[in-house]
Parts: sequence; structure tokens; C-alpha cells
Amino acid sequence: MITTLVGGSVFDPANGLAGETRDLVIADEQMAAATPGAKADRRYDLSGLVVMPGAIDIHSHIAGGKVNLARLMMSEEHRESVTARGAATRSGSGVASPSSFITGYRYAELGYTAAFEPAMVPSNARGAHLEMADVPMIDKGAYLMLGNDELLLRFIAGGAEQERINDYVAWMLNATAALGVKTVNPGGISAFKFNARDLAIDAAGPRHGVTPRQVLHALSRAVFELGVPHPLHVHCNQLGVPGNIETTLATIAASEGFPLHLTHAQFHSYGREGDRRFSSAAALLAEAVNRNQHVTLDVGQILFGQTVTASGDTMAQYRNRTFAKPDKWMIMDIECDGGCGLVPFRYRDQNFVNALQWAIGLELFLLIEDPWRVFLTTDHPNGAPFTGYPHLIRLLMDRSFRNDCLKAIHPAAQQATVLGSINREYTLAEIAITTRAAPARILGLTGRGQLGPGAAADIAVYQPAADRERMFAAPRHVFKNGVEIVRDGAILATPAGATHVVRPAFDPAIEGEIRRFFDDHMSVRLEHFRLSENELADAGLRLMAEACRPRSRA
Amino acid sequence: MAALDIACPFCGLVCDDLALADGRVDARGCAKSAAGFARTPSVAEHRVAGRPATLDAAAAAAATLLRGARLPLISGLAADVAGLRALIALADRLGGVIDRWGSAAQLANLSLLQREGGMTATFGEIANRADAIVLIGSDPAVAQPRFFERLVRPRHALYRPGAPHIAFIGRESAAPADPAVSERILVEGDRLLDAVSTLAALANGQKVRPEIATAALRGLADRLAAAHYGAIAWDIAAFAPPLRDAATSILLHLLRRLTRKTRCVGWPIGGENNAQGASQTMLWQAGWPGRISFAEGTPQHDPWLYDAERLLMAGEVDALLWASALSATPPPPTSVPTVALLAADAPPTSAAVEIRVGIPGIDHAGTVMRADTVVALPLRAARPSALPSIAAAAAAILAHLAVAA
Repeated sequence: MITTLVGGSVFDPANGLAGETRDLVIADEQMAAATPGAKADRRYDLSGLVVMPGAIDIHSHIAGGKVNLARLMMSEEHRESVTARGAATRSGSGVASPSSFITGYRYAELGYTAAFEPAMVPSNARGAHLEMADVPMIDKGAYLMLGNDELLLRFIAGGAEQERINDYVAWMLNATAALGVKTVNPGGISAFKFNARDLAIDAAGPRHGVTPRQVLHALSRAVFELGVPHPLHVHCNQLGVPGNIETTLATIAASEGFPLHLTHAQFHSYGREGDRRFSSAAALLAEAVNRNQHVTLDVGQILFGQTVTASGDTMAQYRNRTFAKPDKWMIMDIECDGGCGLVPFRYRDQNFVNALQWAIGLELFLLIEDPWRVFLTTDHPNGAPFTGYPHLIRLLMDRSFRNDCLKAIHPAAQQATVLGSINREYTLAEIAITTRAAPARILGLTGRGQLGPGAAADIAVYQPAADRERMFAAPRHVFKNGVEIVRDGAILATPAGATHVVRPAFDPAIEGEIRRFFDDHMSVRLEHFRLSENELADAGLRLMAEACRPRSRA
Repeated sequence: MAALDIACPFCGLVCDDLALADGRVDARGCAKSAAGFARTPSVAEHRVAGRPATLDAAAAAAATLLRGARLPLISGLAADVAGLRALIALADRLGGVIDRWGSAAQLANLSLLQREGGMTATFGEIANRADAIVLIGSDPAVAQPRFFERLVRPRHALYRPGAPHIAFIGRESAAPADPAVSERILVEGDRLLDAVSTLAALANGQKVRPEIATAALRGLADRLAAAHYGAIAWDIAAFAPPLRDAATSILLHLLRRLTRKTRCVGWPIGGENNAQGASQTMLWQAGWPGRISFAEGTPQHDPWLYDAERLLMAGEVDALLWASALSATPPPPTSVPTVALLAADAPPTSAAVEIRVGIPGIDHAGTVMRADTVVALPLRAARPSALPSIAAAAAAILAHLAVAA
């Protein structure tokens, strides 16, 4: 089956296209080289339309135990926001904590063709993947949460050689069918279980005496040396605490040059200047990112309104419980390897702190110069539901709109941000980088986020409009693996996407050590902790392994 | 030849260290697992109107019966995750109501978590960490025979030096016999809520008129406050239905209060036959943990209106799809036209359509969730058979609905 997309204005940054008119050819599921005069089975005239690769959300809490707990607690929105079943679609409910099918539909309707669950607790891997099997239309994958797991802390405390830590990390990635490694409040989730309420980056944690800095170093080096494409995905210590910029900058230093991805950086860019002892430190972080080529970040923009925060960071979530709205929260300690915390939040533009958080996120977007190293996220649903992305894109692309919004927020927050003095507007080419090409590159997804021959035919087509929110809210066409899945807001087909994983190599001797630990202490057998390819296939998941190329630093 | 590392789906602990020899559970098993794995098929024939039928013919008849209903009820739901995913799909497609049979106690716990949140932990965390454990209402070993072995005295706990202090609050007749329980605070059944209330008030530093075992409860409150990691497990069914909300609310308040200074977690005992898998799967697919109606085309939740038992008793539904494999429970007696997806050891019923299905973990592989919700475990086919799974039977019915649409 040959499909041609003719006459569109193509934004494909990975292949150097920034709006040039190009004809694209789809052969079955993939992009193919254009051959003049070739016969097409289907032809789309896209004259006057904008064509981009399908968008990729690098950090979105779409599945796993904590997301289900969020659904449970967000009963108000599940009552108020419902979606009826259609001829091709399932019914569902929710906005900040949408049910699984709705998650896939809403992403696809925005032109997204992939989203990655960033906080898969090792012991919850099976549940998370089963749940993702019911998220249709988009590619998926998960980052495995390490850094609070007993065995890793034990290795570090015992002075284990880096090779052994690498073997352990690789074994865990294979066992849980993960795409990358995330660390959340390194050492802090474990410390909270021992009743510690704070853990500074150089503080020795309870029991093992391991510092967050040691965890960061061990994990960032392991990810690098194993050749896992995505750098260590870091949720820093002290999320949300005024003055935490010091920790964030120290985290960059702790990587000692190993690639590092700072996630939801907005929540980690706070100073403690001013009368209210809360200030923007976005400029400091942006400057550090501009200087350190090995650092990338996603923003975790907040947007005003009701949402729920769902995080592995029990220590931070317990601290934040006093802000819960509605007033309820849940904390769970998990299997000596992680945790989760849920706190519903309502971000208000007339609240000084919330208003400044909003400005801080935008400052980060606009002050970091290289769009290849900053990714558009709201840390769904923690800063806002992902359905706010078209609005966020308009804030980035339209300075006068942004300044109008700025005028509406808490007056003291307006005084505390440099946002109004920033003239930068994102171009369409930059949006294509930050939402498509750059996330694919940093995740090592060679066949995604670009439209060169051999890439997956994941494509979004938009009607240009001065109102960029309207433009990005309703693509004219969305293609997934060459199949048109959305047209003018209507879902046409709901195929299953792929699940991206990595399979780094390791010395099998490590398994003996892990097995002994499981035999002695864990509540499941090692054989059951590990996922089998068969069970994932039976659940309807299509695994796609991304290449790992082991590296060493000279 | 023994098969090792077998997981058992019949209670909320989902112990996964069983060995089976000739289909029998070895010494590691408990009475529940022994009975579960000893289940043997007695009827393997599908039936339509009492006559033997192929799976396809039975699925076609089921589709016809269900399609004609104005409000079908899908219940039972003692199924693995794959079965549940398929049954919810069917409920959505039919515009029916879906609710797990016997979910009243679970719903009482969940509705409070919905309203208030909680402070909880998984079994592996409790086994390795808890140094003071309070059991409320009943002996957990009744529902979960290996509770004490798995949660209270694992061979090598990581984080606590000695055995935990274990206290029980409840009726004498419900008290655990396990020797690990070192303190029994016995109260009459109708005073259980008062005792829990008193414990919470004492932990809160409030003055309490000496009434029910106040000295013992004061000692227990002090012990929880002094513990590194307290754990409170309750059996909501030990409280009278009208008191369940209050009991859970007080317990959640107690956990929050203790957490200000130290760590303390709690959880309701339950989760047999993958009950947690049912609530979790409904949550992710539809946004609610049970009692869901798809009649309006969208998922609607009402804990009273969509209670399966009430709907059936009140005659508010006109077809029943009963699906139960992990338990051999037959559909409740009813005049409502019934399609029954039944384990092959369930006795024959008067259902219009009877489809015999395999038991997850015995006849076919599958996945179930532990009562702590986080851990899902794989089941192997201990004695593979040709019986269809609930997932396969539901998919066959769905396929016939699609053809007719």
C-alpha cells in the first residue's frame, strides 16, 4: 500500500526541513523515498497544511499503580468528565487521571503518537505494562525507578565495583521491559521509610549511609556505560522546596559529565529571595544548561486549574499534603524498592506561589537556547493534564498572548518574574524540535520523531492558524504506522502502538546475587518478578528493542 | 516431578512459592491452596438450553440473549486480569452494569480511600519493616492462611532486629490463634468501633473516659507512637455495615496522626480470587473500581444503584452474564435469563447458556493481583486443558455481537 502526502509544508528537523514544501511517501507502515511518477493507492493533497512527525511526550504518568490510585481519588472528575463509546472506541472518564483508552485517544487527537511513563516501580512493572496494553493508538515505554532500591543502596554502601552496578541495572532493565532509568529523589524515598523527612544531596541516608550524590553518580555512569540511549532521568531531591536550585545545580555537578536528563525542572528551579522567601531561579538553571552540553531537561510546566499530582517521591508528597485540594492524599511505601504519593492540586493564578511556578516554567522554556535540549511537558498530570499542550504551545509561540496571560496573574508574581521582558517566540520549527525530533533523539528512538525513509509513518497534519492553540488542538490528519487514525477530530481507527524497551547486555553472574536477595527478603520469587516476553505478547504488547551501544569514557 | 514456584490465586496474598507434585500442593501450601489446586473438572460441556453445544454455538446464543436485554448485568468476576479486561469490554459494548459479586466490604474500604486517601504499604515492605502490628476485627489467617508466615515472620527481615509486637483488637471468638500474637484486647463485637475510636483518641492525645480496655489501648497507642514502623490491618467485615465508613475513617485518621511523628501504615484485609485485580482493571479501563453502569454509553458509578446483588433482587436487570472461574460459585438463584461462564467443577445450573471455562493457574496461564494492588503475579497452567479461558469465552461472545451489529 503506497500513500502519498502531497504539497504539505514539512517540519522535519531531524532531516533538516523547516517548512519546505515536500511530497511524502508512505509504504505500508513506514516512510519511503519519493520516487517521481510512482503510483499511489491513496493520495492526500496537503497544500497549505503543516506536516510534522507525530509528537512524543517524554514524561507523562499514563500507567501504573499510582495512576490507578489517582483515578480512585479523583472521583469528582470521573463523574463530571465522561466520554461515550463510539463505533471504534471504548467509553471512559477523567481528565487529569483519564482512563486508559481515553489516554490514548486524547493523545492521538492532539497529534501525539508516543508517550512515556516515567516512574515504573520495579515491583509494579507487570501491572504497569498490563495497563499500558489498554492505552491504544500511541507508542509507549517506561523508565524504571532505581536509586531507592535496597539492593542498589547496598551495592553502593559496600563499595561494589561499577561493573557490578552496571550488571544489576542492566538485569533490572531486562527483567522489567523498561526503556530507561529514572531516579526519583535518590535515596530520599528509602529514607522516608526510616522516617527521615528531608535528604540533602550530600547527606548520608539512613541504614546504608549512602548519599544522593553517590546514587546519582553510580546510576548516571551505569546508564552511560551500558549504552542505554536515554541519559539517567533525574527527579532531583527536594522537589518543590524554596531554594532547591542549589540541589539542582549540585545534581548537575554530581553527574561529573555523564549525560543527565533533569525532569520537571520547573519544580526544581526555586530560590528563596524576596519578602515571600520564594523566587525564580530559572535563569540560573537555564544558564547552567546552556553551559553544560551533556544536560537536557523537560520543563513540567504548570497550567492553572484542577489536577492531581502523582509521584514516586513519597517524601515530597508527604510534605505537600497540606496543599491538597480537594483535601485528601495518599502515600504508599513499596516493596523495598520505591513508593508513590498522590496529592490533588488546584493551581490558581491568584496564588503567588502557583503564579510564579507558571512563570518559572515559561522562563525555562525561553531562556534555554538550544531547543534540542528542552522538552515540552507538563509532567502530566502533576503540572497540568497533557490536554493543555496546545495552550502551552501558544504561550511559547505568541508573545502578546503570553504577556496578556502574565497580566492576569498574582501581581507580586508579575513583579518576581522576568517573563515580560523576554521577547523570544518559538517558531514552528522549534516546536517540531522540542515535541518531536529532540525527544526521539534523546530516547534513542531512531525510527520515530522524523520522516526520513524507513522511519515509522507517524505523522500529524495541521491547518495553520494564527491562534496556535486552535491549530495544535485539532490536527486535520494523524497517521500511526501509515494508518490514518484521526481526521478532523474524529477517531477513525485505534491500532495498538509499540512498547519501546532496551535490552542491555550484562554478566549473567549478577543474577545469582539478585536471586539470593530475593530468596532471603523479597515477597515474590525472582522468576515472578521478571516479566516474560510471552506474557507481554499475550497481553497484547508489541515490544520494540532500541539498540544499546556500550560506552566508556576516555 | 514437582513443579516449583507456583503462584496461588485463591487469596489476597498470592503466595508464589508453592510446589505441585501430581497436581497436589506440597507442605508450603495452605488449606486454601490445597483445595484450590485439587479442584477437578466434573462438567466440560458447554450447553445451550440444557443441550450440549460447541463454544461457538454457545457464544452465539449468549450474544443473542445479551443483545436482546435492555439492561444486562455482568457479575461474578472471579477472573484473571485477561478475563476482566474482556468482561469490561463486553459490559461497555452491551451497555450493561458490571460489578463484582460480594464486593460490599471492598467497596466500603475503597470509597473511604476515594474520599480521604490513605497511608499504606505493600506486603514486602511490611514483612521487612513493621515492628508493631495491630490486627483489628478478625484473625487474618482465616482469609489468608499464611498471613503470619508471609507478613509477620519472614525468615530474614531486613530492617527490624527482632520479632514485631503483635496486638489483636476484637471479639474473643475471632482472635488469632497464632502464637506470634502477643497481646489480645478483647471486646464485644458491637464495641469494636468504640475500641478503635478509643485507640485513635488516645493516639491523638485526647482524654478518654476509662471504659473499654482503656489501659491496654493506651499502652498500644504508646507502642505505635514509639514504633519505628507501625502497621494496622483491619477486617472491615467485622464492623456492622452502617459502621464501616466510620471505622475506616477513624483508622485513616489514626494513621495520619501517627505519621506526623513516626511511620505507620494500614490496609484492609481482603483480595481473594483476584478481587484487587477486578477493582484495578475497572479503574484503569473505566475510572471506577466497581459498580459501573455503561447504560448511558459512558461509565457511571453509583455504589448503591449498581450493586449487583441489589439489581438482581430488585429485578432491575433483564439478563445476567455470570463469570466465575477462580471460584466455583454458581450464579445466584434468579429468574433473569442467564449466561454462565463457569469453572468446570461448578455444578450444573439452570442458566440458558452455560460455557465451561478453565481456572487461571490450573487450566491456563494468567495474571492476578495481590491484595496490596502493586504486585501482579503470573500464573502458570498447572494442568493445561482445552477449556477456554474467561477471556476467550468473552471474546467469542463479543465477536458474535460485532457480527450482528
